[in-house]
Amino acid sequence: MRRILRTELRRGTAPWAAAAMCGAGVWMLAVHPEDWGGRWAGLVNYLRTSLLILCALMVAAGVWQAGRERRRGIDEMVNSTPRPGWQPVLVAWLAVTLAGTVGVLVAFAGAAVLVAPVATYAGDGWWWTLLVGVLALGAATAGGMAVGRLVRLRLAAPVAGLAAYLGLAILTYWDTKSAVWLAPVQVAQAAYQVVPGRVVAWQAGWLLALTVALLALAARRWLAAALAGVLAVGVAVPIVTGPGPNRLPADPDAVALVCTDSGPKVCVARIHAFLLDDVTPIVQPALARIEGIPGAPDRAMDDAARPVDQPQVPGDGTIWLHLDQQATVRGGLANQDWLASDLRAVTELNCRYDDHDREDERADLTGGLAHAWLFEMPASPVVPVDRLYALPMPAQRAWFADYLRAAAACDVAALIRLGQPR
Amino acid sequence: MSVTVSVRGLRVSYGRRTALDELDLDLGPGVHGLLGPNGAGKTTLMRVLATVRRPDRGQVRLLGQPLSDAVGLRSARRQLGYLPQSFGFYPRFTVREFVEYFAWLKEMPAAQIPLAVDRAIERVGLLDRADDRMKHLSGGMLRRAGIAQAIVNDPRVLLFDEPTAGLDPEQRVEFRALLRELGLDAVVLVSTHLVEDVVAACTRVSLMDAGRLVFDGLPAELIAAGGVGDSGDSPIERGYAAVLRDARTAAR
Repeated sequence: MRRILRTELRRGTAPWAAAAMCGAGVWMLAVHPEDWGGRWAGLVNYLRTSLLILCALMVAAGVWQAGRERRRGIDEMVNSTPRPGWQPVLVAWLAVTLAGTVGVLVAFAGAAVLVAPVATYAGDGWWWTLLVGVLALGAATAGGMAVGRLVRLRLAAPVAGLAAYLGLAILTYWDTKSAVWLAPVQVAQAAYQVVPGRVVAWQAGWLLALTVALLALAARRWLAAALAGVLAVGVAVPIVTGPGPNRLPADPDAVALVCTDSGPKVCVARIHAFLLDDVTPIVQPALARIEGIPGAPDRAMDDAARPVDQPQVPGDGTIWLHLDQQATVRGGLANQDWLASDLRAVTELNCRYDDHDREDERADLTGGLAHAWLFEMPASPVVPVDRLYALPMPAQRAWFADYLRAAAACDVAALIRLGQPR
Repeated sequence: MSVTVSVRGLRVSYGRRTALDELDLDLGPGVHGLLGPNGAGKTTLMRVLATVRRPDRGQVRLLGQPLSDAVGLRSARRQLGYLPQSFGFYPRFTVREFVEYFAWLKEMPAAQIPLAVDRAIERVGLLDRADDRMKHLSGGMLRRAGIAQAIVNDPRVLLFDEPTAGLDPEQRVEFRALLRELGLDAVVLVSTHLVEDVVAACTRVSLMDAGRLVFDGLPAELIAAGGVGDSGDSPIERGYAAVLRDARTAAR
């Protein structure tokens, strides 16, 4: 069987599947490097996100492989041979699955080479995430083979691939709560979060049973297909009736804080520690500027380290930094504007007004003035911060303290008055 | 004659059209020619004997094994070689890989496969092209590769449907020699329109018309059935025409 497997790997659909999966993997990695840069768990999570495309490709490859006998007019010769039909099906499935998996792993291994010198947290749970991803590729190929053997349609491969893509997209993005675990595609999980081991085990069992059922279907072993199908449904029940993917717990080691040694305190989760040197020069000057001002935050913390049940409270003295999609391929900061928007929370107004649009606008303009002062931005006709800069520094800091107080109290009159600094 | 293929009361229909009607046939070792006009049921008979078409009625035994039970079917298939009329192939496989793949499908012991594959390829004269991909072969060479896959397991029952189509005269002569060699210890059934192949290579000949067997005998007996006034350019063609004419007259 090994010689036949080798032949299938070289001459069947397998080499094309490997090339397509490698190409698709590279493309997916290139499109969103901020999702995986610098983090092992991020890289594996992103593999699971990419399964939306990759599984569809494997389905199409499986259909193409399984339809080969009919397409090449060889089915009559094959049907006159004694070897049970499930064996050629198994070998062909194994060849396509192996090749496709190797193809995508080669692409992700290239990304791993970039992650390795940067990553500041290894963790260990991501191996299981990867394993479920590989099982999903096998299940997708088996699904394709079942379609290829049972559907006599020339366009079956692209149609089945597209149907798989749409089906997975619906299951993943549609609000089905825990049923989302049935799809191997993972989109809502941050790199520092962990999927409970119980869910991973059920997912693996579900995909294995599904693979066996689909292969049995492809081999026209109806009884075996029915039994494996019943088993798959049996495994699916605890998945769909269990808790969904919302509010996943964080890996405590991944979110352990790593902080600056000097200056205002800036702390990031260990999994984001490689970003600390890039984040600090942006965040610390802002913290230093407002240091000692009553009501102003005195530290910046990685939002990853915030407990799931602790909401962000304005004025709690902390600037929460969202760094989960902030890494470049080489581990640098992807977008300074996103970081600035985290800092903007310091001066943001969260007030509800009645029907006083004019007042709203003037209050918002004051907010813009406070933001410009915080970041020492140049003046503009809309934001005349130069009048604030003209005041002595103690007066500027007093003005900012007044602003924070008025913003926290949503004192519109005070905000409008502060908009005219003298 | 020791009977190794036995067909009794065979009936096969495609919808309302009857392709084989109450057919009885016994075959022993040797090369058997199967003649008949288009639509006579030759390919259907071949497909039934190749175990790819289940008969509607009747009994078929290959090498003493009834095809109606799973054990007998699998056992018979191990001893079977089949080259269908429309022969497909995997273009990216080499000749060796293609024949090896069928050796595996025929459940040959793994240790015997490499030698058996080389021998089969050598017997059809393709050893120098064994590592060429199938898509690079000419029509005649593809046919020979098809024959190689059929004989790789040294089958005791060999079914060739139009095997000489696409072969040049020299290759046909070589193929006839191979048929004679194979027929020494196996049942070889060759369906063909080329009556000269039958004269040159077959020990017995059967003639079918409208799903029925209308002649079964020696090639010399078929030749003897023809007269001077019958149509045809050779004695066997005249015999063929005469037997068909008589069968159709009797059927009216």
